[in-house]
Amino acid sequence: MTAEPTRRDVLKAQAAAIAAAAAGIALPASAQPVPGGVSALEIKWSKAPCRFCGTGCGVMVGVKDGQVVATHGDMQAEVNRGLNCIKGYFLSKIMYGEDRLTTPLMRKRNGVFDKEGDFEPVSWDEAFDVMADKCKQVLRDKGPTAIGMFGSGQWTIFEGYAATKLMRAGFRSNNLDPNARHCMASAATAFIRAFGSDEPMGCYDDFEHADAFVLWGSNMAEMHPILWTRVADRRLGNPHVRCAVLSTFTHRSMDLTDIPIIFKPGTDLAILNYIANHIIQTGRVNERFINDHTTFMRGVVDIGYGLRTEHELEINATGASDPGRMEPIDFETFKQFVSNYTLEMAAELSGADPGFLEELAELYADPAKKVMSLWTMGFNQHVRGVWANHMVYNIHLLTGKISEPGNSPFSLTGQPSACGTAREVGTFAHRLPADLVVTNPEHRHHAEEIWGLPEGLLPDQPGYHAVQQDRMLRDGLLNFYWIQVNNNLQAAPNNSQETYPGYRNPDNFIVVSDAYPTVTAMAADVILPAAMWVEKEGAYGNAERRTHVWHQLVQAPGEARSDLWQLAEFSKRFTTDEVWPEDMLSANPDYRGRTLFDILFRNGKVDRFPLDELDPEYANNEATEFGFYIQKGLFEEYAEFGRGHGHDLAPYDRYHQERGLRWPVVDGQETRWRYREGHDPYVKPGEGVKFYGRPDGRAVILAVPYEPPAESPDDEYDLWLVTGRVLEHWHSGSMTMRVPELYRAFPGAVCFMNADDARRKGLNQGMEVRVVSRRGEIRSRIETQGRNRMPRGVVFVPWFDASQLINKVTLDATDPISKQTDFKKCAVKIERLA
Amino acid sequence: MPERSFLHVSSAVVCVRPERAQAVIAAISAMQATEVHAHDAARIVVVMEGRSTGELGDRLASIALTPGVIAANMVFEHVEELEETPS
Repeated sequence: MTAEPTRRDVLKAQAAAIAAAAAGIALPASAQPVPGGVSALEIKWSKAPCRFCGTGCGVMVGVKDGQVVATHGDMQAEVNRGLNCIKGYFLSKIMYGEDRLTTPLMRKRNGVFDKEGDFEPVSWDEAFDVMADKCKQVLRDKGPTAIGMFGSGQWTIFEGYAATKLMRAGFRSNNLDPNARHCMASAATAFIRAFGSDEPMGCYDDFEHADAFVLWGSNMAEMHPILWTRVADRRLGNPHVRCAVLSTFTHRSMDLTDIPIIFKPGTDLAILNYIANHIIQTGRVNERFINDHTTFMRGVVDIGYGLRTEHELEINATGASDPGRMEPIDFETFKQFVSNYTLEMAAELSGADPGFLEELAELYADPAKKVMSLWTMGFNQHVRGVWANHMVYNIHLLTGKISEPGNSPFSLTGQPSACGTAREVGTFAHRLPADLVVTNPEHRHHAEEIWGLPEGLLPDQPGYHAVQQDRMLRDGLLNFYWIQVNNNLQAAPNNSQETYPGYRNPDNFIVVSDAYPTVTAMAADVILPAAMWVEKEGAYGNAERRTHVWHQLVQAPGEARSDLWQLAEFSKRFTTDEVWPEDMLSANPDYRGRTLFDILFRNGKVDRFPLDELDPEYANNEATEFGFYIQKGLFEEYAEFGRGHGHDLAPYDRYHQERGLRWPVVDGQETRWRYREGHDPYVKPGEGVKFYGRPDGRAVILAVPYEPPAESPDDEYDLWLVTGRVLEHWHSGSMTMRVPELYRAFPGAVCFMNADDARRKGLNQGMEVRVVSRRGEIRSRIETQGRNRMPRGVVFVPWFDASQLINKVTLDATDPISKQTDFKKCAVKIERLA
Repeated sequence: MPERSFLHVSSAVVCVRPERAQAVIAAISAMQATEVHAHDAARIVVVMEGRSTGELGDRLASIALTPGVIAANMVFEHVEELEETPS
């Protein structure tokens, strides 16, 4: 011990001071920081959004000697205000896994491509030559519907936009879908159906204004730790605030809850309708709001489960042919419809405590309480996911608790650009940018004008969605398939029956672009090494409509190249004569003989920003290689779709200066609450609230019932299986499993199980078991303690572990409207290993 | 050449249920090279030292999973190369 503070003491005091400032806590005088104590270590710091979830935290990225050496939470980022969750803390390591892919690989035998051969390193030219040959042959033999691409909500905005142009305008195929189909499709579909415009009306500022938080199936404590911290700060700092958590099992988020509700899988639909009924029966409908701003509809029922059409559940479903149909009704009919959903009925069906259910309903009914509802996969991965999203909007609309600070139905996202890329750019099989759709002739015409294409070029049929792509690959109807930034063989449901066979079908040619040799990459025919995150300039859009741009900060290893470069460079190998129909070319001879690169990227728009507009402080490999500032060109062309239409983006350069901006950005100002006068510039003075996404300016309140899941436990398969994630790992684990410390923290998936269930079956903690369904089985280990505590009859298995592919066991049932898979409900049995 | 050695000093903010704060503070203070620098009713400022990002990340995960803790997030990290290899 010395009286003089040591350098270590100074460093610790500094660290404490910054944390205290982030938390808004006053430090005792003895712990005040000593100024000038910490030097910069020759690290260059730049801003970027985090690479992981949809929260969109700002991080500062420290680069030294061409390598990312450190990251920390960005104090200037409004989202996270300097905080950094455990996954985010390890961001600097995700690019440096030992098995990083650094060269293209192709299956070869005797020096040539062979689907049964082994992977050998090849040049980019050889890989692209073989790919282009295969692609052209499929186009000649079967046409554009046999070409497909599977992208991601981890694509940058430019990458998703380049992909949608290449697929739809280049190859004339709408078989483009993102893995966000597995994640956000139900949310996105319900937004369009209820409000006529995708994405939340509110924003994260609602966390500091709400009097009550209701988590519908979400485990924010583990999946969205930074936003959970904002909930916790609000709840713990304001004694009147209440927090309700609904789930099919007890998890970490229950530690903060005042109203814990455990319900039987799928019965959330009955609870939601009970709340609507409670609001009506207790006279707390906001009548002025529903009269002025809503319209009532009834949805078609018995809509099936999105299985293969020959499945008996589909044949027997009377509403399966047009599951999305809605027809107008009035309030009295709605009132009558939900009147069956009494407290007794909801409690009986769900198994939840009636006292807690009533407390929950009162949070919504009490006009004095501002309520923020939050959900992610519990609602979206649900065979009635679109309905569940509608039903939560119903209760916010009946009470008028929407589009104002603290009153906020808020759909959280799982991927960093599920909103920015998959949804806003429109990389779904039926979508075009800015909420336009391929089935609308005016929308296609508008896209053709912006893209400088001949009229009538864009295809009008929606393409195959994610699960349908796998089925069509297996059936041999989809034959050239390119997968970027995702690990779908691990992520897709029922994958040993419906996904893997399609990849290895001898009629098919499969390309995977990734940074690491995932199980998906290893099942491909060609693997392309991808540059990731700050190895390229990028832009993401988070869950609150925040668009956030970053610079390239380091070089990717070896031959790895960004997906943007891969898409644009590949497009040079095709001419219009090879891919467009002759009648289109004869009617538009100016387009003859041009490469797709010329059409899509050197089109006078995307190539209009010269290299001298680049920031000399940062590299930009793609711009340098193509000879123009391609990211800015793509962004500005893309922004044309939304400007003046409620999706306005700021000029590109401004995003390099900001920690993101929430669209619509009009006259330089971002929008925090949509549809509300005074907050949203699209709502005119005197209108108050206007849901202008719909022609009548009214939001839809939809009458739909509880319907049971596709598969429920029976005598043989006697347990519910729920899949999901854990704190330490993100999604399939292809990045986080390569961070040694995260791997050690949670090295292998386990099967969380109720202790009584285990005892009854003669299973002990830690015992190795088989988890078996009608589709397949895996081996895992029993966990009866730990962070998740299961009720009787339900087991939970996380899906990050490639050595325990739980999706061999899951069912490929989807919501028939959104086509999103239900990963939360199927029947399994657990058997001890003999 | 001797192996290079680093000192990491990191700070974190821990959210706790107020009634559990004292117990959590005691649990954190009992962890090696981990100090509580300040707290209010529901938040604790923690400073950790270690030899690697991984060591500190592990400790943050342990704190996050401590009973009574609602959330634990990193704020700041400083890394210094040590002059000599410690024993």
